[in-house]
Amino acid sequence: MSNCSETLERLYEYIDRELSNEEQAEVQRHLDDCPPCRDRFKFEENVLRQVRRCCRDVSAPPSLVEKVRRICNQ
Amino acid sequence: MRPGTGLVDGLFKRKEPNLVTENGRHPEAVRQCLQQEALTYIDSLYRTAVRMTRNPSDAEDLVQETYLRALRSLDRFKPGTNLRAWLFKIMTNAFINEYRKRTRQPRNQSLDNVEEYYVYAHLIDSGVQPESRGPEEEVLASLTDDNVVAALESLSDEFRQVVLLADVEGFAYREIADILDIPIGTVMSRLHRSRRRLQRMLTGSLVEAQPYGDSAHE
Ligand SMILES: [Zn+2]
Repeated sequence: MSNCSETLERLYEYIDRELSNEEQAEVQRHLDDCPPCRDRFKFEENVLRQVRRCCRDVSAPPSLVEKVRRICNQ
Repeated sequence: MRPGTGLVDGLFKRKEPNLVTENGRHPEAVRQCLQQEALTYIDSLYRTAVRMTRNPSDAEDLVQETYLRALRSLDRFKPGTNLRAWLFKIMTNAFINEYRKRTRQPRNQSLDNVEEYYVYAHLIDSGVQPESRGPEEEVLASLTDDNVVAALESLSDEFRQVVLLADVEGFAYREIADILDIPIGTVMSRLHRSRRRLQRMLTGSLVEAQPYGDSAHE
């Protein structure tokens, strides 16, 4: 089993799904057995989820959509 | 042709060899599909523009400029590649070359620390206690969108950009490297550092106090 520091080094690549299947599974195995690492990963994910939720809560104003539609249709 | 139906992809697969005519232009049907598909990314471009410019009206200008540029150079778009990423690349260049040039304050790294304190103050004002040792989740749960936006907007342009592309828009490292024209290792180190900084701002010293290293990808 990989150790905590190896696992934490892969934290962001794991969260971002940038690891190979094999690496992903290795991190997952460590997290299954290590509550402190699991908490840390969960915490990191939560922060990023907050950022995502907050930023995605914005959509283009209808007037802008109309202008861009005209640009796209010309 | 309705946007977002995957029609464009289908078209590319069937017609790939004849996509660009002798004069270097996409046939009219392909152009129209691309224009319609481009329109479906407007929310995604706009919300990124708002956070980049920190200003809704500048964001509208930036998005319009992005579409004007994209349509002017649509014939240079390689069919089968990612139209959304291509639009983000155009917007990023427009932001760096046009928008940032005409705004007053040059954004540099040395400002970051000053701004960080500003956000700490902001968090305390809004009732979040950065020095609290309560459960991290509680601190997180008490954050408002204003806190998150203030923290995000206090990052330098380079840092904010990678967070928006990765965490909000879900682009892969490779795509971000292409959009920003930087090596993938730089994407990773910027992401790492900007996330640490965001976290520090959003939760005070809670995370810093943990015995975990901050050295990966730096
Ligand atoms: Zn562990």
